Amino acid sequence: MVRTEGLRKEYGKILAVQDLCLNIPSGCIYGLIGPNGSGKTTAIKVLMGLVKATSGTAEVLGRRVPVQGKDGRVSYMPQELALYTDLTVRENLQLFAELNGLEPAAFAEREKEVLEVVGLSERRDELVGRLSGGMQHRASLACAMVNRPTLMFLDEPTVGVDPELRAGFWEHFRALKAEGMTVVLTTHYMDEASRCDLVGMMHRGRLIAEGTPDQLLRDSGSENLEDAFLVFIRRCQE
Amino acid sequence: MKARRTLAITKKVLRSLRHDRRTAAFLVLMPIFMIAIFGYTFGGEVEDVEVYVIDLDEGVGPVDLSDLVISHLREDDSLRVVDVVRTGDGIDDPVAYGREKVAEGEAWGCIAFPANFTMDMISFSPGNSTQSEAATVTLFLDGSNYNIAQTVTGAVRSSLSQMLVDDLGIAQPVSVAQDMVYGEGRDFLDTFAPGVISLAVMMVTFMISIISFIHERTTGTLARLLSTPVTEAEVVTGYALAFGLIGLVQSVVVLATALLLFGVQVEGSLPLVLLTVFLLGVGMQGLGFLLSANARTEFQAVQFIPIILFPSILLSGVFWPLESVPEVLRPISYLLPLTYAVDGVRSVMVRGWGLEEIWPDLTVLLLFALAMLSLSVVLMRRR
Repeated sequence: MVRTEGLRKEYGKILAVQDLCLNIPSGCIYGLIGPNGSGKTTAIKVLMGLVKATSGTAEVLGRRVPVQGKDGRVSYMPQELALYTDLTVRENLQLFAELNGLEPAAFAEREKEVLEVVGLSERRDELVGRLSGGMQHRASLACAMVNRPTLMFLDEPTVGVDPELRAGFWEHFRALKAEGMTVVLTTHYMDEASRCDLVGMMHRGRLIAEGTPDQLLRDSGSENLEDAFLVFIRRCQE
Repeated sequence: MKARRTLAITKKVLRSLRHDRRTAAFLVLMPIFMIAIFGYTFGGEVEDVEVYVIDLDEGVGPVDLSDLVISHLREDDSLRVVDVVRTGDGIDDPVAYGREKVAEGEAWGCIAFPANFTMDMISFSPGNSTQSEAATVTLFLDGSNYNIAQTVTGAVRSSLSQMLVDDLGIAQPVSVAQDMVYGEGRDFLDTFAPGVISLAVMMVTFMISIISFIHERTTGTLARLLSTPVTEAEVVTGYALAFGLIGLVQSVVVLATALLLFGVQVEGSLPLVLLTVFLLGVGMQGLGFLLSANARTEFQAVQFIPIILFPSILLSGVFWPLESVPEVLRPISYLLPLTYAVDGVRSVMVRGWGLEEIWPDLTVLLLFALAMLSLSVVLMRRR
């Protein structure tokens, strides 16, 4: 589903991602975990074709990134809101549906579904700028889901989200997985890692460990993933 | 390039405006404001310039030619004769008195007729100017305002000429036969309106475009758009269409205002005027995008606005002809797209020219628009 080989991205003298080799299977929730500045967002941007890799290869749904373009099967929810605050929720949804090639009839049906999932059916004609922060986050998730993608990249989807809404988001992610979608998300909250099927731990641009949460706990001999992360960092430095 | 995705971008820009009433109002009202302010300011004639007249002319018998000139000066709307001081009015030195009035700022000018004004005029023999002195009228002028000084001088010359031709029946040895090839019966506003239409569209599309794109980049919406199948060319074209349409609406608004408020006429084809303005709007949108790409914040982006706007206002022939632009600056005039839009729109509106005459202007504007849009696409791809 997602495969990278020796992926490297440099911003001038800063090495954001180095030798990243990923192999993400379909139908899972994959968590790219690491502190701020560990290269998670850059890795996602390279996979979305928004940033060109300095070297290495990346393949998403069998297409080389970025040379083979996009076909609307992949969607992206950036860390920032990145919605048009001067458009209504519905108009934002319609824009991303049209850009992803969803037909008008299909959109009418899908719009209802996603608004129901994120609980914004009543607020669909309100300007995004007038919604609360939590609602804006949900609207952003709705826009990422509207084209019924096969693969979703969600960059820090739960940052700045209250615990109740965060729990709601994780329900959505599991619902999406049940529909057959693959969800790749980044987070720096270690407790969220345990909710993923597979976890990739990133530190200073490198993937330092990968596996199921249970495997990572076993391999590191730790009781929680936060301790496990520190063990893997130490091993890496030795 | 897919039309559906391109139009989705266009729709997005126009929908944003629908919700943002203030910006929408700015887009419509700002050109009206511009044409109204410029129209009333530049279109008005200079009137009621206050002057003093010092009449020391003693005449010759019953003939007093200075009185005839003064009566014409009084009829002239551009002047308001505050007072006519004569020899017997109890002022010691009337000429010094008149000059003092100008120096004190109580009048813009003082027109002084000497004692022998009529005598000199009657005895002057054009064929023998070495033996006779020409009559002289002295003007004391406050030259701090060039236009007003020119108005007083013009009024005096015209009153003298009226006295000679109308009152004394002296035929002029030479006259100028004028035949207006273009612009018969037109005034300054007719020349000026095409410039303001182009300037208004240029200003607004450029300003809104530069701000919109920096906003797209800093809020992350541009990256999110580009994460969908939409291509860079579709985003740029979608925006260009939206801004071209905004430019069209603006030019219709300005034209309607110019027609209704100032009686400006359109001699040629209206669609051709709109096409010229559309191309300008598209090109300026592209330039706005290119410049915004070189700014990190909105504050940095707005710094580009005066850099483009001031040369355009001053050097593109909107208010002054290119011929009045110093030669050293003229190459800049020819680099500014507004120069070609103003020339094209003015030629259609005043001369009534068609496509076969203004195609060079349209070609330059088309190439400018294409170059800006292509560079915008290239720049987006190099991210």
